[in-house]
Amino acid sequence: MRVRLEHVTHIYPATDESPPVQVLTDVSLEIRSGDFVVVMGASGSGKSTLLNLIGAVDRPTSGRLFLGDQETSSLPESALTMLRRQSIGFIFQFFNLIPTLNVFENVAFPLSLNGRGRGEIDGRVREVLDRVGLPHRATHFPGELAGGEMQRVAIGRAIIHRPSLILADEPTGNLDSRNGEMVLDLIRSLHDESAATVVMATHSDRAASRGDYIIHIADGQVTR
Amino acid sequence: MSLLRALVLRPMVREKIRTTLTVLGIAVGVAVVVAIALSNQSALRAFRESVDAVAGRANYQIASDVGIDENLLIALQPLWSRGLRFAPVIDIDGMVEASQTPIRILGVDLLSDIHFRDYRYASILSGTSAGGAPAPSPARYLDLFRTDSIIVPATFAAEHRLRLGSPLALSVLGHQTTMIVRGILEPRGPATAFNGSIGIVDIAAAQRQFGMLGQLTRVDLIVPGEEVRSAIARLLPPNARLERPSRRNERVEKMLRAFRVNLFALAGVALLVGMFLVYNTVLISILRRRKDVGVLMTLGASPGQIFAAFLAEGLLFGAAGSVIGIFLGDALAFLILRLIGRTINALYVTSEPQAIVLTPTIALVGAAVGTLLSLIAAIQPSVEAAHVRPSILIRTGLQQRVGRARRSVLAISAVLCFAAAAAVCRLPPVDGISIAGYLAVLLVVAGFSLLSPLIVTVVSSALRKPMRAAWGMVGQLASASIPASLRRTSIACAALALATGMMVAVALMVGSFRETVRVWVDQTVSSDLWLRPAKGLSNADIALFPASIVDDLRRVPFIAAVDPIRGRDVTYGDSIIAVGSGDFDVVGRYGNLPMVTPRSSQPALQDALRRKGVFVSESFALKFHKRVGDSVELPTTRGVERFPITGVYRDYSNDRGVVVMDRGLFIRAFQDDKINTVVLYLKKGVAPEEARKKLEAAFGPKYHAFAVLNREIRAEVMKIFDQTFVITYALLAVAVIVAVLGIVNTLAALILERSRELALLRIAA
Ligand SMILES: Nc1ncnc2c1ncn2[C@@H]1O[C@H](COP(=O)(O)OP(=O)(O)OP(=O)(O)O)[C@@H](O)[C@H]1O
Ligand SMILES: [Mg+2]
Repeated sequence: MRVRLEHVTHIYPATDESPPVQVLTDVSLEIRSGDFVVVMGASGSGKSTLLNLIGAVDRPTSGRLFLGDQETSSLPESALTMLRRQSIGFIFQFFNLIPTLNVFENVAFPLSLNGRGRGEIDGRVREVLDRVGLPHRATHFPGELAGGEMQRVAIGRAIIHRPSLILADEPTGNLDSRNGEMVLDLIRSLHDESAATVVMATHSDRAASRGDYIIHIADGQVTR
Repeated sequence: MSLLRALVLRPMVREKIRTTLTVLGIAVGVAVVVAIALSNQSALRAFRESVDAVAGRANYQIASDVGIDENLLIALQPLWSRGLRFAPVIDIDGMVEASQTPIRILGVDLLSDIHFRDYRYASILSGTSAGGAPAPSPARYLDLFRTDSIIVPATFAAEHRLRLGSPLALSVLGHQTTMIVRGILEPRGPATAFNGSIGIVDIAAAQRQFGMLGQLTRVDLIVPGEEVRSAIARLLPPNARLERPSRRNERVEKMLRAFRVNLFALAGVALLVGMFLVYNTVLISILRRRKDVGVLMTLGASPGQIFAAFLAEGLLFGAAGSVIGIFLGDALAFLILRLIGRTINALYVTSEPQAIVLTPTIALVGAAVGTLLSLIAAIQPSVEAAHVRPSILIRTGLQQRVGRARRSVLAISAVLCFAAAAAVCRLPPVDGISIAGYLAVLLVVAGFSLLSPLIVTVVSSALRKPMRAAWGMVGQLASASIPASLRRTSIACAALALATGMMVAVALMVGSFRETVRVWVDQTVSSDLWLRPAKGLSNADIALFPASIVDDLRRVPFIAAVDPIRGRDVTYGDSIIAVGSGDFDVVGRYGNLPMVTPRSSQPALQDALRRKGVFVSESFALKFHKRVGDSVELPTTRGVERFPITGVYRDYSNDRGVVVMDRGLFIRAFQDDKINTVVLYLKKGVAPEEARKKLEAAFGPKYHAFAVLNREIRAEVMKIFDQTFVITYALLAVAVIVAVLGIVNTLAALILERSRELALLRIAA
């Protein structure tokens, strides 16, 4: 899926305790379909904010944002929900697995949200668990897994519904280097097997080297 | 489905304590409602069925509170040819001496009563065996008419170990008599009334044995048509009524209504607590799962789905609680029935409540109430959940805060609630039921809960400085963290505020009421001893002293004064009131009647004696809009008489209204010189304990008298009072426990959230 930003500015409004924060200033950017892009920048530079805007989780304060041919910045909330449900996969720094669902159910969640049948879900989840190397963990709960395993489950959940856009916000930020490597290998090979666009935010140069190219954020500006 | 599993089902199973408590909370609420409905239904049905069974096939009856002259039957005789059938009835309360239990005595014309009531003799005399219904031989049948014959139901005979020929000692209207069981009835028709505690005697025998010569309690009629009915109406004396037998049920039901509303208000409190629990639980579960909700929404769950999931949580709690509550209520009903039964018996009518039957209607109502209220309670938190933003990628903390504008809105609404409560208080009761009072309490509780966020902010900001001084940074962080998560704390605090507010309000109300009653009892029960014809404390007519006891008592050297008390129920308009009597002269000199108007009882009592006037209770004055100077019209044996009111006094023992008159006036009005209780004032220096021993020795054998000490009476009244409020206290305790658990729950969640921050602080320090 192609991603395009036109003159996007994002400002977090003021609260009782803090003044408004301008994170992105007049950013224009295009990511071609099937690219594996790495976003780098200092802490607080706005990486997550950018991913949120691309992932239709938040709307830009001004400017236009396109996913494929659709202008998401003007879509209603319900359409954004459907878009996230059907076409986007999310991978987070803190894994964000649902603690009350087991591995199988966590991975299956996007499919059941999409109203797929039981049989299809069963087959597809087994396939994906095999792919991320955790077929024997299906009935375990997240609390019983190690960090690397949790992130692999989260990756499984992000790809189960074959999204055309995968967003990964510091996926190795909470892992040791061995597990980090494993996760990065997995994301890279999954990208290579599918036509999905991948946008990954990271601090680490090692992680950054897995991408096709790097985008830098600093002072609200994006440079390639 | 997986959404429901993730957010609701699994957490419900995992957090067993929370789930159990919430379900129990609802269950208790539903149980109380179901139990009260069931026990009410059972108590009323028992009464209604008894009346129906005794009324038999009669479609009308001539009734009077003061007795009917049997010559009325002669006047009715000409109407026989026009199809009228009538049966004279004596229907009075008595007591079985051996067991000190009530028995209803039904005196009927055994020959003609077959038209009206369905008797089937299981056995008569020592003759035929039970089972079939062999026609008794005429000679044996005649024995039933002997003046000492009584016929009892088989169940009663079994319970009291009676056989044909057994003697049965009774105390009826002050007459001690021993009857002989000469017939045993199959349990059908009138034999089932009053739980089988009934004895049937020939009417002539009843008149002779119980001092009612020439008198009837009522006449049962089968009236063929309107014409005959109006003909009968013309024959009626002014102190009698021609009415459907069901009218009596209606009157009793009306009498019990205020009592029932009270009970349901109590149930309302229980339900409110249950609802509040569901609200609290669902809200806390949302606060704890906020992050998960954010993640799920990021993955594509819609706000509508989130809303539905949490609403379903409320629904599940409600449904589970309702099911348990219905069965719990069924069990509880038994206990309440004993409590209500006692109250009904003490205050209103003698009727033994029956078995409890869980009807589908009541089960359905219980389920609907529990489920619906839980659903309603879950709406607001579910809306809250649906408003969670999916921007979870960035920050996990809570950004939501109660804004300043909202805070002032809350404060203003709270003040409005209090004002409304004050205004509502002044509204008059609807139909004798103070709906306004209940509403006002609700408003005050609502006001306090609206105010609680404000209180939290003020307290925590006031605490900030001292806490910083005492514990430095950590202290400041602690107090600052409270308003930062105000939403959460305020709910936990609102829970506690609501529960304790309710607790305090009700405890204060009950406490002050109790104090009032205590003072009233102390003032009213100022005599030294009471002499009663039965052991238990009961206002019913079941046991009486004959008038002769007064003269006997006056001759006792250590007694200063004797005040014989007599009361009876009288129909007043559409209501049943109590008419009581005592010796006004003695009351004036020794007693201490708590007055409303005029201030002092003495002159008003003298005035009553002079003008043949009466005192009325405050409840009577309020209910029927009467004041000193007005008069009351009462049916008496001489027709309908008018009595001027010379005083209004306070009486908490009776909410239906009481008219009290001097004993002389009462005897003249009702031809009734029996006595329920004798109040005794002892001479100075006589020890009540000693007097009691001597009195029981002297009067026990002759009058079956029991002496009760002043303090025993007071203690008994207070015991009844406290029993009545036991349910209230229990409910409030549940509310507070739940609120405290809510706070613990919330604090646990808060600590979870702050632990990262605190860990950082520890590293920094
Ligand atoms: N909801 C919010 N309200 C106000 N300010 C916010 C909000 N979310 C983020 N910010 C601010 O916006 C800026 C950018 O934040 P963002 O999380 O996008 O940075 P980041 O590059 O992802 O940082 P990190 O590497 O630490 O994850 C920061 O200064 C942050 O404090
Ligand atoms: Mg970030």
